[in-house]
Formats: sequence, C-alpha cells, structure tokens
Amino acid sequence: MLQTLATMGQGFLHALTPINLIMMIAGVALGIVIGCMPGLSAAMGVALMLPLTFTMQQDTALIVLGAIYCGAIFGGSISAILIHTPGTPASAATAIEGYEMTKRGQAGKALFTACYASFWGGLLSCISLYFFAPLLAELTLKFQSAEYFWLSIFGLTIIAGVAGKSLLKGLMSGALGLLLSTIGSDPGSGIPRFMLFGNSYFYDGINVTCALIGLFSMSQVFILAEKKIKERAQASKVTDKMSLTREERKTIRPTILRSWIIGNLIGILPGAGASIACFLGYNTSKQFSKHKEMFGKGSIEGVAGSEAANNAVTGGSLIPTLTLGIPGESVTAILMGGLIMKGLQPGRMLFNEENAIVTYTFFAGFVLVQFFMLGIGLLGCRGFAQISRLSDAILIPCVTVLCVVGSYAINRLPEDVIVMLVFGVLGYLMRKLDLNTAAIVLALILGPIGEKNLQNAMIISDGSPKILFSSVICWVLIALCVVGILSPIFMAKMEKKAETDAVADTNVDIEKLTEEDLV
Amino acid sequence: MKMKYTDIGIVAVFYVICALFFAETQKLPVESQMYPKVIVIILFGLTTLYLIQMIVNAVKFGTESGKSSFKDFQPKQFFVCLALTVLYVAAVLTIGFFVSTAVFLVVTLLFFKVKPLYIAITTVALLLLIYGAFTLFLHVQLPNNLLF
Repeated sequence: MLQTLATMGQGFLHALTPINLIMMIAGVALGIVIGCMPGLSAAMGVALMLPLTFTMQQDTALIVLGAIYCGAIFGGSISAILIHTPGTPASAATAIEGYEMTKRGQAGKALFTACYASFWGGLLSCISLYFFAPLLAELTLKFQSAEYFWLSIFGLTIIAGVAGKSLLKGLMSGALGLLLSTIGSDPGSGIPRFMLFGNSYFYDGINVTCALIGLFSMSQVFILAEKKIKERAQASKVTDKMSLTREERKTIRPTILRSWIIGNLIGILPGAGASIACFLGYNTSKQFSKHKEMFGKGSIEGVAGSEAANNAVTGGSLIPTLTLGIPGESVTAILMGGLIMKGLQPGRMLFNEENAIVTYTFFAGFVLVQFFMLGIGLLGCRGFAQISRLSDAILIPCVTVLCVVGSYAINRLPEDVIVMLVFGVLGYLMRKLDLNTAAIVLALILGPIGEKNLQNAMIISDGSPKILFSSVICWVLIALCVVGILSPIFMAKMEKKAETDAVADTNVDIEKLTEEDLV
Repeated sequence: MKMKYTDIGIVAVFYVICALFFAETQKLPVESQMYPKVIVIILFGLTTLYLIQMIVNAVKFGTESGKSSFKDFQPKQFFVCLALTVLYVAAVLTIGFFVSTAVFLVVTLLFFKVKPLYIAITTVALLLLIYGAFTLFLHVQLPNNLLF
C-alpha cells in the first residue's frame, strides 16, 4: 500500500517535468482543435498523432495521446455551442442546450459551463482510474494462457458491441480483421503465412499503426472528399461574460456528480462510448432538474450533464484497456495499439516494479491534463471556434499529407505508406457499406494475442483442448463472451431511448445532427 | 429492413476472400494450418448467415438499391482526390517528400478553388510544421530521392 502511494507520488513528480508539461499543453490544444472541427474525430486525431510519439519516452507518449483524447472529447462542445455543429458525436447532446443558450446571448456562459463540467467529469474519472485499475490488474495475476485466450476472445466479442447497424456485419468485419492478423509469421513455428506477393515486408504481419491511420484518418479524407464542399456557419460572437454565478455553480454540482458516475460506468462498459454517455447524462440532468421548463430553451444543467458525462468516459474507458487489454471503443483501441508499440503490455505488467512508474506517471499526467483542458478551453475557445470553421477543402489535402508522413515516419518504409493507403480505401468502402472499421482494428490487435496464448495453452496441455475449460475464470470469461455478443441489442435500445428522450421536448432533429455533421 | 443490392457485392467479396485464404492455407505445413483454417470457416459461416438474413429480408420487406449510402456523392471531386492522392504517394516515394507535398497541396487546393492567399499560407505552414515536427524534432529522414 505504502509502496503504491510512493509510486503514485513519484508519478506526479515525473509528470511535472517540463517536457511532460509542454506535451500536455500541446496535446490538449491539438485535441481541442481536432475535436472542434466537424469532420475530424478523437479516434482520427489519436491515430494521426501516434507516429509523432514514437521517439518519445513511454510516459510522455502516453500523456500526449491521453491529452489529445481528452482535448478532442471536450473540443466538440465548442462548435456544438457556437455553430450548432457538434465537432464529435460525444457533444451531440451539448448542441441541444448549448446552441439555445448562444441564441439567447449566453454563449460565454454555455462555454464556461462546458469547460467547467468537462473538467470535473474528467478529473473525477481519474479517481476511479486510480482506484480500480490496480485492483483489476491484480486479478490478472491468476490468469494463465487459457484465461488470456478467453480474455482476447471476450475482447473480440466487443466487436459485436461496436458493430453499429448490423451485428452480423460487425462480426464479419471482426473475422476479416482476424484473418488479416494471420498474415505474417506463425507465432509458434515462425513459418511465413500469406506473404502477399511473396513480399518479406509482411513477415512481421500488417503494421497496425499504418492500418489505424488508414482506417480512421485516410478513410475520413475520402468521406470528406465525396461530399460537396460547404461553407460552415459563422461562429456566433461571445458577447457575455464567460463565468457562472455561485448559485449556478451550486445548481450544476449534483448534475456533474451524477454525470460523472454515468460516464464512468459507460466508459468501463466495453462497447459503449462517449456518444451514449452524453445523452444519458443529459437525460438524467433533465429528470432531476428543478427547472425542467428550461430544457430545450438553453439549460446550463443540460450542457453540464452532457459534458461531464462524456469527459467522465475518458478515465473509465482506460480501466479495461490498461488492466485487461480490452479496449471498448476505437479511441482506446488506438491507445492500446500505442501502448503495445511502446513495449508495454496491458495487464499486471503495467503495475509491476519495472513499469508502475510509467503507468502512474501517465495517470498523474491524465489528472494534470484536466487542468490544462480547463485553462486552455477557457482562454482559447473564441479562437478555437474560428478554427472550427476551417473548410473541408483545406482539411482534405492537409490530413492526406499528415497520413502519408505519419505512416512513413514509423519505420521509414515506403511499404508502410502503401499499406496505409490501401487501408484508407478499405476503411472508406467499409464505412459506406455499414461494415465496421473499429472491429478490424480490435481484431488486428487482439488476434495475435489470442493466437499466441492458444498455442501456449495447447503446448502446456499436450494438445488437449480441455485446458480451455479447466478453470472457473475460463467459464466466467466464456459467459462474458456470450454477454459481449448479446450486449449490442441492449446498447442499441439504450442509445435509441436516450436520444429519443433527449429531444422529446425540443425542436432538434437529432438524426440530422448525428448523421450529417458527425463522423 | 429491406435487403440492399450492395450487400450482394459484400457477400461475394467475402466469399472470394474466404476462398483465397483457404487455398493459401492448404499450401502451409499442417501444424500451421489449424488456426487460419478455423478463422476462414468462421468468416464463411458468418457470411452465409448474413446471406440467409438478406434473403429473408428480401422476401419479408422487399429490396432497395443501397444507393442511399452514396447520396450527395460527387464523383468528379471524389475520383480526382483519389487519383491525386495515389499520384502523391507515388511521387513522395520517387521524387521526394517536400517537393511532392508542395505540388500536391497547391494542385489540390487549386482544384477546390481555394483563394491563392490561403493556398500559399496553407502550403508554407504545413511544410514548416512537418519540417519542424518530423525532421528537426523526431529526426525522421523523409524521402528525398530525386529532389528535396
């Protein structure tokens, strides 16, 4: 216990080094810019910036990625409030009340509420990260190869959770990803498999970072390129003071607390994400509000409920990712990819003597990032609002260039750029045909882990599959796999209900908000 | 939910992928065949389930083209962008990064009818950003084959 507390303290000291602080500021600012631009998502931003972290120290790299993640989730609220276009799906509910406040000349108040609630949502989510992550990681001490195999299968069933419109299409995408993950050498015998065109480049398998950049960033370029370039709406002027009265702060305090719990639980739940949390947070704030009549007309409680919930997801979603190696959504899948590339394996390894300092520096960085988010958000939101109007005509070539340079910088191999481009086209087609790109990513990351552990289990048991059913943990994980496959049915219902409830008394066309403007 | 005609293409492509991987798996030594074969079988099974679901939907609810996913599609803009991107990647790897990038940015922005001043600012700013971040900060040697 004392040892852990000492490591936590050391983590804070490491996080406070100048380089880490500079990177936090840069990461948060970049994240807010990405988040506030409709058309760019948090997943895309993190994927695009992954290569930039390659030469950094492990803790600094993780802090940068975490800062971009938090900044992007918050950034979506700026354009939601000022131009009625949520920068990311996580701010769709914020647009309902935020823009109404802007129309009433309270843009400053709305922005302050969003900043303040995001800050508290994110900060409180760090508490659960500190508390639950080591406990859950401790549990994995009991895991052997068979359990790890089932754990990776459970992770893969999350694919069903992020499957989108069709469960079967999600599972097909996942199976395709698994098949693609078999390209390269057999982890047991080292025999080369499916070496495309006999190219030895594929001996180590498909480069996951290039695939990530292609699937999330390059494909988005093609999505933007297929639509008519439209001029974005002028950002509304912030004429009022950016602050809240003591009374108003008191009013939103319970809302923030409720949304923190909701966002945290949603974050921990694999398959659910910030977009569901923002609607649930918004609905709950409406249910408990003493001023229900203000909802749909510009309620600060509505803005606070949505923003605290979506930012509380960030800390919660890191718990299963870091401890069990199960990323529940695209952004955490990319973060986990970054973690593995930095030589860190999720699970108990992150909390052992060697790596604990890196992990706790990341956690401390995550706490400090929330303060920077508050500061940068409050000081810069007028400027960020102008950036959010940047035309797609400029974004398209700029993001293309960053995708190319990012994929090349990883190993300095031309083949990496070609792989990125191929996955970009594949990602575009998949998104247009309702297949799931996140499922491919999860399969590319978890496939090799599952295969390796299956082979190890078979070696231990002399080829007997009984070992896969030999412990209670195995059976618990099998049960979780079944739940994982069935969960999207409930998730879809929950999301639909939350959306319907959220817009029941307003004039907002949520379909228009979430399909036309969001990614 | 109506069956989309575009889904026929998806099912066909998935079957082709299964067939190709299955054929390649047969060429592997026996000890390496098991895992990929199981995945191929799973993918084949899921694709077949989806095919059945499509047929049931077609009988119950009818069919639709699936073109709704491509509404507002601007073919000229899209294919020009795609072609420019492919040419850009080829140019980066043969000519060199900075020259290719400058040309790509100017040509693409001109195609989108962006004002000359914005073209100049965007091109210079992005090149400086990449030079600063990748060449100076990360020490990445970007391709400089024929030209800078």
